[in-house]
Amino acid sequence: MTRPISLALVALLAPVVAALILAPIPALRKRGWPAAALCILGSVLSFGAAVALLVDTLKDSTPQTLAVPWVRSAGKVIAEAGVHVDGVAASMLVVVTLVALCVQVFSLGYMHDEPPPAFGRYFTYHALFLFSMNVLVVAPNLLQLFIGWELVGVTSYLLIGFYFRKPSAAHAAVKAFWVTKFADMGFLFGLLALFAASGSFGWDARLAPGAATAVTLLFFLAVVGKSAQFPLHVWLPDAMEGPTPVSALLHAATMVAAGVYLVVRANPLFAQSETTRSLMLGLGAGTALFAALLALVQTDIKKVLAYSTCSQLGYMVAALGAGSVLGGFFHLTTHAFFKALLFLAAGSAIHAVHSNEIGAMGGLAKKMPLTAGAFIIGALSLAGIPGFSGFFSKDLVLEAVEGKLGGVPWVLLLATAFLTAFYMGRVVFVAFFGEPSGEQAKHAHEPGWSMRAPLVVLAVLSLGLGYFAAPFARLHGEAYHFELGAGPIIGATLGIGGFVAAYAVFGRGKREAPPAVITWVDSIARTRAVNRLYDFGYRRVTMVLANALAWIDRYVVDGAINMLAYTTLEAGQEARPMQTGFAADYVMAVLAGVVCLAAWVVAR
Amino acid sequence: MTLSTCLLLATALFSVGIYGLLTRRQVMAVLLCVELMANAANICFVAFSRFRGGVTGQVFASFSIAITVAEVAVGLAIVILLYRTRGDTRLDLASEMKE
Amino acid sequence: MDAVGFAIVALCMLVSASYVVRAANLIHAVLWLGVTLLTTAALYAMLGASFLAGVQALVYVGGVVTLMIFGVMITRKHDGLVVPADSGSPARGALVGGSFFALVAVAIRATPGLDVDVAAKAITPADLGRAFLGDQVLAFETLSVLLLGAMVGAIVIARRHDPGAPRRALGSRSSPVAARTAPEEARS
Repeated sequence: MTRPISLALVALLAPVVAALILAPIPALRKRGWPAAALCILGSVLSFGAAVALLVDTLKDSTPQTLAVPWVRSAGKVIAEAGVHVDGVAASMLVVVTLVALCVQVFSLGYMHDEPPPAFGRYFTYHALFLFSMNVLVVAPNLLQLFIGWELVGVTSYLLIGFYFRKPSAAHAAVKAFWVTKFADMGFLFGLLALFAASGSFGWDARLAPGAATAVTLLFFLAVVGKSAQFPLHVWLPDAMEGPTPVSALLHAATMVAAGVYLVVRANPLFAQSETTRSLMLGLGAGTALFAALLALVQTDIKKVLAYSTCSQLGYMVAALGAGSVLGGFFHLTTHAFFKALLFLAAGSAIHAVHSNEIGAMGGLAKKMPLTAGAFIIGALSLAGIPGFSGFFSKDLVLEAVEGKLGGVPWVLLLATAFLTAFYMGRVVFVAFFGEPSGEQAKHAHEPGWSMRAPLVVLAVLSLGLGYFAAPFARLHGEAYHFELGAGPIIGATLGIGGFVAAYAVFGRGKREAPPAVITWVDSIARTRAVNRLYDFGYRRVTMVLANALAWIDRYVVDGAINMLAYTTLEAGQEARPMQTGFAADYVMAVLAGVVCLAAWVVAR
Repeated sequence: MTLSTCLLLATALFSVGIYGLLTRRQVMAVLLCVELMANAANICFVAFSRFRGGVTGQVFASFSIAITVAEVAVGLAIVILLYRTRGDTRLDLASEMKE
Repeated sequence: MDAVGFAIVALCMLVSASYVVRAANLIHAVLWLGVTLLTTAALYAMLGASFLAGVQALVYVGGVVTLMIFGVMITRKHDGLVVPADSGSPARGALVGGSFFALVAVAIRATPGLDVDVAAKAITPADLGRAFLGDQVLAFETLSVLLLGAMVGAIVIARRHDPGAPRRALGSRSSPVAARTAPEEARS
């Protein structure tokens, strides 16, 4: 076993060992802090291994695989399980473990007020989640990736529904699970189609064009669900019911990125279908704009960030659809860091004012400079301001999309860039500048070290990662060069312009009526059209069908059996009077039988 | 007097016995009819012995007589028991076997 | 001559049999049964089975009929001699009996080789004796066991289970016999 493989195994297994120790020993969980200690220990080990692995891979990025036979059928092995290590996996592993570690450390402070049993439960779920995500990242074939995918779905359900006694949280968790499960049908059928077309679950197969399109479209359905693209985006805003660190982990960096990761991994397959790629490009760009508009009218800071994530995922999907795996994946990486930073900083603010609403904040920059600084760095990176990491990754995306599909996606993404800067500026100016708007905001203060340290780490990365694009590209086997062309200039201008516009509208404590555009978008958003559509589909179609089938089962299927039983009993009742008890009748019956027999014998 | 006429006679006797078996209400009367039917069988045995040769027919006729006698004895014992427990030997009142 | 005799015997037999099944008075029925059995004996004699005719007369007429008369007398009600002896629906019995006769008659008619008239070699009692103690000795012995069983069975079925009048022991009042009747009482 080579060193990279063993490092990958450590990264994969450390969290699950922690989880396996915690799961069967309730005493550890109920005390609270032992669970946190074990979980964070596992994450530290995992992160350490991931970093070492990344260093190794930077030196030598030939892919390595360790796979054991797993599924047998008719004597042949049709699927294997194990670890596959290459540049993509190594960098994703670092991203996942680093963000997870930051989030878990942050949670030590954020979740401090939870009762110990809940605290322990929280960290157990975190360990399980990290393991699930790692299974997905190092999967050597799409089947194991699917297993990791589903595990991620389950653990994210547990984490989103952490406050399960709150009905809205429970509903949100179920909604997330339901919508992504619906999308996972695509993954499952895609796997089946892939196997039927190529006889294996690997992503290297060469398929016929029709088969390639079918398989990749099915996989894309799963991506639409997991990465919250339109129209399956409805679960992401609701998933903000989970604790804020969970949102930082799942809905910034890892779970929603799994969809993008799938496309990156299965790129050889997706490259064989222009149809799917065009669909991805169009849908990604459309979702980016749509989500950015919705982010504009949210008053809950977490919902703003949620829609923002949705929008940025649209960027990634569009980049992949345009054929640029590097663009999509680099944006995923930078987005993971600055979005997690934004969520954690928001969490710090929420913790300080005990409310999610930006209306309850205000003037926090004076009271919480570190948090404010972190949030602003994240916002600038998200908006693609030059120098920050987001600028470089967005530039790659825009470059890739330019000129495809008649330039429409490019325009959409540029418009989105402006809106992104605008809505982030809105949040920055309303929440962190101006005057404190309530008692809580007046008494806000910085949190403890456990919540500040991750902010610092992520802020540094959000600032500086852009300059490491070249080594990053090398991991991918591609070359990177930065040129100051029209694209980046336009993008930067729009970003800066968005902030300026936000300052004009929201700066200096102006909180009067928002512009007409915002009101218009708000009224549309309030219709919750997509959600209502799903509700209709569920209640009117699915439930009606289910009730009809239940009726058939109860009255037709069971009815047939009951009718059989009833008929038998009735027949028995009818036959009862034959037993009269009179010997003469019985003799008569015997003799009648004899006569019949004799008649039959004679007649032959 | 051929074999077939003897057999027909025996059959006729048997049929008369059947009629009585199904018609009579008294247990004793039913026993009498059973006697008739056994007798008819005996006639068959003897007729075959006479017209086909061999001693087997008569041998079995004797056995049949002995068995019938035994059956009458046991049957009478049952009738007496029935009379003692019920005071009456009417067959249509003995309907305990009905379900 | 032969045929006439047979016809007379047959007629007597069937007529008396019909009286057996239709007589209202049970005693009469039994007596008519005796007649039927006697004519059967005559038939046996005509068929050359003289020993069997004698056995028939002795055992059946002498034994069974007597037994039947006893049985009828013991079990009849004392409030009147004439007991309704017929049940309803003679039609049912006629139907079954008639169809049975018809069927078998058809079968007999249809079977070839039954119209023999020639007597086989005559059978003497000596032949019968040899058969009983020779070829058929197993059946013969089993038959004796059967008769024993019938005897025991009849006694067991028909014995009295109640003590009836208190039995006096041969000697004392409190005796083993009294003790023996007690468990018998308890058992019944």
